[in-house]
Amino acid sequence: MNDEAVVKVALVSCGSEYAGVHGELESVASSVNAKLVYPEIEIDILDDIGKDFGIEAASPDLRLMMARSKAVVEGLSDVDGVFITSCFRCAEAAIVRNEVRRYINKHSELPVISYSFTERTTAATLLTRMEALTTIARRRHLLAREKQSGLTAGIDSGSTTTKAVIMRDNEIIGSGWVPTIKVIDSATEAFNQALEEAGVKQEDIQAIGTTGYGRFLIGEHFGAKLIQEEITVNSKGAVYLADTQKGHATVIDIGGMDNKAISVDDGIPGMFTMGGICAGASGRFLDMTAKRLGVDITELGALAVKGMEQNVDMNSYCIVFGIQSLVNSLAKGSTPEDVAAAACHSVVEQIFEQQLQEVDVKEPLILVGGSSLIEGVPKALGELLHINVLVPPNSHLIGAVGSALLASGYVEE
Amino acid sequence: MAEENNDVITKLVVTSSDTVLPIDAAMKIYESSTDIVIKETCFGTMVTGPREAVNKVVKEIVDLDKNHIFVKERGFPPGDDRRCRASRGGGSRPGFYFLKEEAMMLPMIGKALDKYDKHVPLKEIEHKKKLEVKDLQDIVESSL
Amino acid sequence: MAKVIIYPTNSLILSDLVQRFGHTPLAMMEKIKEKVTTVGVDSPPMNITAEEPKHGLKYAAVEVPAGVRGRMAIVGPMIEEAEAGIIVGESPMAFGCMGCARTNELTKYLIRSREMPLLELEFPKDDDEGQEFVYRIAEFLKSLDEVKGESEEATE
Repeated sequence: MNDEAVVKVALVSCGSEYAGVHGELESVASSVNAKLVYPEIEIDILDDIGKDFGIEAASPDLRLMMARSKAVVEGLSDVDGVFITSCFRCAEAAIVRNEVRRYINKHSELPVISYSFTERTTAATLLTRMEALTTIARRRHLLAREKQSGLTAGIDSGSTTTKAVIMRDNEIIGSGWVPTIKVIDSATEAFNQALEEAGVKQEDIQAIGTTGYGRFLIGEHFGAKLIQEEITVNSKGAVYLADTQKGHATVIDIGGMDNKAISVDDGIPGMFTMGGICAGASGRFLDMTAKRLGVDITELGALAVKGMEQNVDMNSYCIVFGIQSLVNSLAKGSTPEDVAAAACHSVVEQIFEQQLQEVDVKEPLILVGGSSLIEGVPKALGELLHINVLVPPNSHLIGAVGSALLASGYVEE
Repeated sequence: MAEENNDVITKLVVTSSDTVLPIDAAMKIYESSTDIVIKETCFGTMVTGPREAVNKVVKEIVDLDKNHIFVKERGFPPGDDRRCRASRGGGSRPGFYFLKEEAMMLPMIGKALDKYDKHVPLKEIEHKKKLEVKDLQDIVESSL
Repeated sequence: MAKVIIYPTNSLILSDLVQRFGHTPLAMMEKIKEKVTTVGVDSPPMNITAEEPKHGLKYAAVEVPAGVRGRMAIVGPMIEEAEAGIIVGESPMAFGCMGCARTNELTKYLIRSREMPLLELEFPKDDDEGQEFVYRIAEFLKSLDEVKGESEEATE
């Protein structure tokens, strides 16, 4: 990847130098061959930036953020993308950060990432985000691809499950789905399942794309042409499967370990957030609920749609305490249906509270990832947001399909 | 002794003088010491070297026009990669804006120091007070 | 000679005046120098690592943003070390060390909470105000000699 051109990323930040995360930002940028730049500004604009931009923030560094975003939009600073970041838990910064992000989105074509850090934020946490930012800046032409061509494979090495698909001439002809145990073994197994179903041999595959946590490892193992983080791949996969490649869309991916909420425009991810701190907001929570109810995970959804979440008192989103609440409810006589519904609601509500606040939800809302197959989840999400939730066919194979689709860009090359 | 050698400091000398130009300050440094490195910037001269030597030469410069030459220590040595404009991709370092703001106040501070030395008595300054509600009411009524 | 904490903590004018009238300014620059010249730490640009926000817990609770705590890890010990203080009202142009309004509120509060001589004033806008500004600071700094002299005599 590092043979590609350096991507210039404008750093529009407040507090990072004093929170001990600045070095992490520099380090992650250089790992994806990006360079952080501080947009040059006309010093005079600082006098009136509060009124010009419209937020009279008390903190001078936040006013500097507004001035820098203006410089980026007006082209004074020649950059390929923008990274907006400020301290977690600072209300003033959160207001400015959000408005600066909206402002740049509205007035430029630049990809933007917004993130709030703590002193514990590491380069590893930032990698997927920075990788997505530089990919969008670097490979717009690749992301413009709307149809799969040739014979390609996509493998999504997720934290919980590994998925593989084989596609030929814009159709899925084989798929595999296995729990992730050992990254390469599981990927091989999923890949072989897919190959067998498709009736083709590995050597016939013209290009392989990999994504997910294990993307680098399996990418190298299988000689993949495309090794790509999940934000880009899943955005593309979602609008492709939902057949909504043009215009706005919002993609929510509830994975086994983390979630993504991505606002997509013409198949290109714009603003996105990633969860990953709390298991209570992940597919794992639903998995645990199913086990406590003594049903298979595939049956949980059908139960949930029959239940009423209001009948169950849940006082925590936590995977330990929240599940305890569910168990207590069962002991008090709640039905398994109600408990299943409450679990789906809990996951969705936490995603809403923690992730959707920073993404402008625009229809269609496409729900993907394994959890989208649990019918109670899209139902709960639709009820919470008061919009129709679209679950495309093969939504659980999203990453693999997106990889196979994008990898076909390399077939002709 | 080794410790002394390690104690390298940088001072920023900002001149706001009618008689001493930054170049005079620079010349003074060039002729005074060999241990010292200087760098001229938009707002002043950065003087880097062993603490003793820097303090000595800075005092000599300030003495050229003491009320109109100002000094502060600087955290980063000049041209430090971590702060240098070139390696940061353009934007100025954060302290620059405030320094510029303060530099514009220096003629005023210089004049005040001259007056202080000459024991010029302080003028009574009338600080504006908030308008009384009664007075506001009068204004409103008179403009009706 | 008294150690005088200045606010804004990176002010050229205040640092100069304190020094000029015979005292030691406690300012951000020296602290930053200590940081950036620390051998073996490589956390650009200022060598502030994740440790500083933790040290900052002495001055601000964990719910206070990391950027505030990181700054307080540097400013806090200066406030503790100070024997007197000069606070000059907010300048809208102070970025970086002084770029966070929340840190600045806390810094001023902690300076005011110390039982020590303190002068508070505003940055001047014209020559008359400039004269008053310099006179008040000069007189304040001179008064520190007297106070200090007396207390030193008393302890002898």
